[in-house]
Amino acid sequence: MTTVIETCELGKNYGRVVALTGCTLDVPEGQLVALVGPNGAGKSTLLNLVVGLAAPTSGTVSVLDGVPAGSPPALDGIAFVAQDMPLYRQLSALDMIHLTRNLNQRFDDAFARRRLEDLAIPGRQKTGKLSGGQRAQLALTLALARRPRLLVLDEPTASLDPLARHDFMATVMTAMAEDGVSVLLSSHVLAELERVADHLILISHGRVHLNGAVEDLRDRHRLVTGPRDQPGDPEWRTIQQSTAGVQSHRLVEVANPGPPPSGWEARPVSLEELTMAYLREDARTARTSTLEAIR
Amino acid sequence: MSTTTLAGVPPQQVRPIPWRSLAWVIWRRQRTTTLTILGILGLLAIYLLVSGLQMRSAWNTVQACTPVHSSACQFAWENFRNAHSNPGIVSAVFIFAPLLIGAFAGAPLIGRDLETGTFRYAWTQGVGRLRWAVALLVPGAIAVGVLTGAFGALIAWHDHPLWEADVASRLQASEFPTTGIAIVGWSLAAFSLGVLAGYLWRRVLPALATAIGIGFGLALATSKLRFRYMAPLRTKSLDFVTGSQTVQQWWEKAGAVVSNRDLNTALQSAGIQQIDIGNGGNTTVTASPSNGVDPITYLLQHGYQQWTSYQPSSRYWRFQWIEFGWLTALAVLLLAATFLLIRRRDA
Repeated sequence: MTTVIETCELGKNYGRVVALTGCTLDVPEGQLVALVGPNGAGKSTLLNLVVGLAAPTSGTVSVLDGVPAGSPPALDGIAFVAQDMPLYRQLSALDMIHLTRNLNQRFDDAFARRRLEDLAIPGRQKTGKLSGGQRAQLALTLALARRPRLLVLDEPTASLDPLARHDFMATVMTAMAEDGVSVLLSSHVLAELERVADHLILISHGRVHLNGAVEDLRDRHRLVTGPRDQPGDPEWRTIQQSTAGVQSHRLVEVANPGPPPSGWEARPVSLEELTMAYLREDARTARTSTLEAIR
Repeated sequence: MSTTTLAGVPPQQVRPIPWRSLAWVIWRRQRTTTLTILGILGLLAIYLLVSGLQMRSAWNTVQACTPVHSSACQFAWENFRNAHSNPGIVSAVFIFAPLLIGAFAGAPLIGRDLETGTFRYAWTQGVGRLRWAVALLVPGAIAVGVLTGAFGALIAWHDHPLWEADVASRLQASEFPTTGIAIVGWSLAAFSLGVLAGYLWRRVLPALATAIGIGFGLALATSKLRFRYMAPLRTKSLDFVTGSQTVQQWWEKAGAVVSNRDLNTALQSAGIQQIDIGNGGNTTVTASPSNGVDPITYLLQHGYQQWTSYQPSSRYWRFQWIEFGWLTALAVLLLAATFLLIRRRDA
């Protein structure tokens, strides 16, 4: 299988601040990869490294089957839509299309113009006067018209209303289905990723905590409920637990997806429950280690 | 629109974006700035044309006056001198013009993209950030150089009667950097200062202030240092060559420099009103004769000798090339540093 992103022990410091550390990833082609994590976790840093806006402090990052990030073939094959959709506010939508066409080797002009019409975006209007949803769609259109192999989106739906958010994701999904474009998308809205993500990367405090195919992650984790005084299955790795009365609730990583021991109930987890459990656990250990450091 | 077309271009064979395509981009992005600068320069040029034509006709009248030594002609000449010896507030604009044009053109080139976040768009397009920067900075520098060069020629044409009439020297601080090719050097230096400051500040306004501030400081320092480009000439003559620029004046006796204090002591002991101690190193004798003796005459009669060091007007072009040379070298260094930073460092 070909990979669109491959990182090895990738790290990035900004001055003394460690934004990302020890990040080793392998992202296969043709998938929608969701990059999730709280604000300031290092999501944007990882995306900037992938699109070549930032240079690694340590480790390596290559894209599109081993091409160094930021190199000419990498720039040619990757389209990036940054947070807040940066567009030249003084230029019209049609000017932006012309501009992007002139800045790239490949550009599907007809596709871009057709999408502009379909979206009812006035071509002569300055982009600064478009609505948030229209700007997002225009930025996405410019990116897709470049016919990239990999589309990188940084918090694309953060500032959109639910309808615009839905339309935006629909455009992304269509492009994936029709052109086979791979997508790397960062977000902290988990609900909208539940149905669409093929692959999940969970980042917190600059570290990758979870990385794998969504199917696989769902298979490997269970929410189990059982008596508080019983240890449960010895093969379980508890990610997070809470107790209510005599009951113990745990989110566990299971070695084999068989039935739980007697007295225990198990049910599959949602992506949201899974990521929340890992983030809570990370926050707890971060607190503990801080306390230990203080002592 | 299938995946085969996407994978159709093997990664190693990515062709660079042609400069022709980039030219359109740069023009579309910089149109407003370019037209604004052209508009302002156009207005100033009209002023220079009108004022220059008026001055020329006045100067022609003075020159056509015969007989030259008649009181009427002397009066006309004095009149011309008085009318034009104070260049007024407008000429101050021209001193700042190369710095302002350069800084205003340079600061937003990289700085605006960094300030508004659009560099995340521009630097992730297929063209690549280095080619993008070259396409911005090289034509930008050339346009600024050509524009200010033409403007400097117009200023020189305008001021030419003043140089002929010896109202102003073309070596003096208000004339030299705004004419010839020095004006090109100054605008290029300000341009590259603006570009680099824009990159470092990541904002346009502080970059503009920095470029103008540093440029102004540099201009101030250069106005002092310019006369050291070549060793000044010395003369004993009290009225020296037309159009030259005085560097320093001092008195000597028996080959040794006499300080102002000693000079005054000598005059006082002779009962003559002391001379004015001029600013800088220049000792100018301005006092009018008291008890019948002119201080200069007294000093000259008693073995003192006044010396003047000066730069002759004939060195104008050699100095122009020296100033243009080091300023352009500075501009090239600053732009090269910007390219290196853009290529190496994080956005």
